[in-house]
Amino acid sequence: MRNNTANPASSAVGCQSVTLPSGLRVICRTMPGYSSVHGFYAADFGSVHRQFTLDGRTVTLPAGTAHFMEHKMCETAAGDTFALYAKTGASANAFTGYDRTCYVFSATEKIDENLDILLGQVGKPWFTKASIAKEQGIIAQEIKMYDDSPDWRLLNALFRGLYRAHPLREDIAGTVQSIAEITPPLLYDCAKAFYAPENMVLSVAGKITLGQAVEACKRNGLYRARKNHAVAWDIPAETGAIPQREQHFTMPVNRPCFGVAYREPPLEKGDLKRELLLAMLSDLICGGLTEFYRKLYDTSLVNPGFSGDCVTAPGACCVAFTGESEQPRQVVALLQQEIERLRRDGIDPEIFRLVKNQMYGETLGSMEQPDEAAEDAADACLKGRTLAEEIEALAALTVQDADALLRTALREETRAYVQIDPAEDGD
Amino acid sequence: MERKQLAPGVHITTLEADKFNRCRIAIHLRFPARRDTATLDAVLTQVLERGYAACPDMTALSRKLAGLYGADLGVELSGAGIDRVLSADICGIKDAYALAGENLTDAYADIVFGTVFEPYLVDGVFDAEAVRIETETQSLRLQAELNAKRLYCVRQARRKFYGDSPAGIELGGYPDELSAVTPEALKAEYDRILRQSRIDVMVQGTDAERVAEKLLRRLDGVPRDPQEPGALVAMPRTPLRRYTEKLPGLTQAKLCMLFTTGSADNVPTVSALRVAMNLLGGASTSRLFMNVREKQSLCYYCGAAAHRATGAMMIDSGVEPGKVMQAEAAMLAEWEGLKKGPITQEEMDDCRSGLLSGMDALEDSLSALEGWYYGQILRGEPLYPPAYGKVLTSAVTIDEVRRVLEQYSYSVGYVVTARPGTEGKGTPDEE
Repeated sequence: MRNNTANPASSAVGCQSVTLPSGLRVICRTMPGYSSVHGFYAADFGSVHRQFTLDGRTVTLPAGTAHFMEHKMCETAAGDTFALYAKTGASANAFTGYDRTCYVFSATEKIDENLDILLGQVGKPWFTKASIAKEQGIIAQEIKMYDDSPDWRLLNALFRGLYRAHPLREDIAGTVQSIAEITPPLLYDCAKAFYAPENMVLSVAGKITLGQAVEACKRNGLYRARKNHAVAWDIPAETGAIPQREQHFTMPVNRPCFGVAYREPPLEKGDLKRELLLAMLSDLICGGLTEFYRKLYDTSLVNPGFSGDCVTAPGACCVAFTGESEQPRQVVALLQQEIERLRRDGIDPEIFRLVKNQMYGETLGSMEQPDEAAEDAADACLKGRTLAEEIEALAALTVQDADALLRTALREETRAYVQIDPAEDGD
Repeated sequence: MERKQLAPGVHITTLEADKFNRCRIAIHLRFPARRDTATLDAVLTQVLERGYAACPDMTALSRKLAGLYGADLGVELSGAGIDRVLSADICGIKDAYALAGENLTDAYADIVFGTVFEPYLVDGVFDAEAVRIETETQSLRLQAELNAKRLYCVRQARRKFYGDSPAGIELGGYPDELSAVTPEALKAEYDRILRQSRIDVMVQGTDAERVAEKLLRRLDGVPRDPQEPGALVAMPRTPLRRYTEKLPGLTQAKLCMLFTTGSADNVPTVSALRVAMNLLGGASTSRLFMNVREKQSLCYYCGAAAHRATGAMMIDSGVEPGKVMQAEAAMLAEWEGLKKGPITQEEMDDCRSGLLSGMDALEDSLSALEGWYYGQILRGEPLYPPAYGKVLTSAVTIDEVRRVLEQYSYSVGYVVTARPGTEGKGTPDEE
């Protein structure tokens, strides 16, 4: 068992963890005085996992399979898991990302029962043709809801601009057509390949102990070592020119929405330093602390929603900036100028110090909420590290590190641009 | 928990927060909403958030907050029946976690009270440049309303439902009145808010005595005439009014249904309302979720909520454009089913257990706990902890739930859908 509280700087984010003989990683942040428990059970399986080999056999998945599976895992032979949680008073949810699928509950009572529901729903997959057909209708509505979201459409279009073949091109939920191709055998293959204990993390936080979580794993057959299936997958990084530098389309919006994204080399496993710097980059360039943001805001070139973010997935990494503006091209030109200026003159050390401070405070803040604490700890674990290591790595960063990253990052030749214009009556 | 009156219409409430890494100070100013100052209120909120006399520059304030380890300052305007609440809150790590031993909590109080009581003024009025910028930004915000289709549909439905009622005054103001926002008008409205508001400060994890002292110092010399909270209202019952708005390129239709109690008499208790809404459409075990979404696959989201102070209930949903009427009928059938059909004790217990668990969990969040108590203050209730909220919720009966739901009549149905022939058009692939 590891107790990740090596020094005072990391004590505030301390967790206990253990890897069971089955390979399942279990993390616990016991929070004295708290009433609730948040359980977070994650599989290292997301929308970008579209092809893999299972015991030597190649399996190819339609877009949206991981997300579809998430919906189906909420239905067991014993009934809908939401109905089971209702008996314990827990609130539950599930979500799928590019590289993971997560199942969660929050509860204040009957914690052992809730853990059993959580671990049981994922541990005993149950798929039938009829239940799959029903789910296709619900997910089709979810897909259509996101189709009407300019932010979501913008991000997906940026990925299509940056990548020729990477599965990031496809929406996490897939399309109405792609999910129609999903069958029970495909879902069972995914369960064997990606829902094995060694590919999963159980993270709990709040009024709970590590021992309690481990006992739940024992009750649900997740403790002992087992013979796993041979699974392999690889999503290669893309090189060469980006496939689509510009895209334009229309939607029912009142003002143009725009996005600009830069394709960066994917993160090497364990390269925490580069990951943190990439996460800081947009704040250093155009965050609320910068004069550049102020200039854009005061001239009404952007609204307060203008911001940047780093998106990473196996085989892919990009930094995207999105917002609304009447003059989107002018904003993008000014942004590129600012990036070039910082590349040439260096990042302001004071802004760097403040952004670092801010990230430290936010990390500390998130650890006082059981839901965020469990999720952040699981997130770090899925990336092969601890939150304490993240805090230490953050403390060690220097403005020179950021300058060094910027010397190669955010190059105009790796940039894709998307603009959504208001739909006119004739569109 | 302790609530004390510091002056007429000024209270401070202290909430226990030992277990948290962070502390929080919130100040709420509740004042009567007015149609003619709605746009000023919306812009004023943004101007106040930019800075205050001791730190007038927006970027400098952002840096100051970042220097305080990312302390989070928020200024917002919200509705409370026919009143408005201007709130400012700050949340940051406790002094014990400061890397260089700084006194953070004093700084938090100075910032949040500075923001509300010591605005940056030039020649006695708000800074013209700040007013210009925030008026333009508010215009952009109002224009962007259409982008979030669910919210857009709800707001359009509300406009039809409330009409000219004080309960329908727009929180974001009115686009055609933005040009009339001036530094002078903003200062006059600010003075009105300070004069007429009932002030509540909520303190968590910091020295309440010190905060009270700082507050009283700021209020010294401020002309005060706190107004009584606005009365509860309800829109009159009317025959059902239906509206359909067609937008080019939409993929999924949105349906918002608004119901009224017709009278502000016999207002149900918060506990009964909570249970009723949870049964109808507030949880994943609700009738709407289980039957309309899960069994009939008619929608992805479908929820119900009630607004006690204005006697309104809302059901909103995202549905297939061709199935709006079918979905509406299915949702109304669920409402009817709860009013007239069987409700099992098991269903009540399942619904209630989620609410009870949620009340226990309030103690684990600074903002949720603060919201719990300030909600009671807004309703004029004596303060009680979540544990007593559980007792009240546990006492709600099936008959009470039926009585709550029977009070409503369906008043406005608003649909935002695709213009025929344009559904989902405009993807890059199709161009």
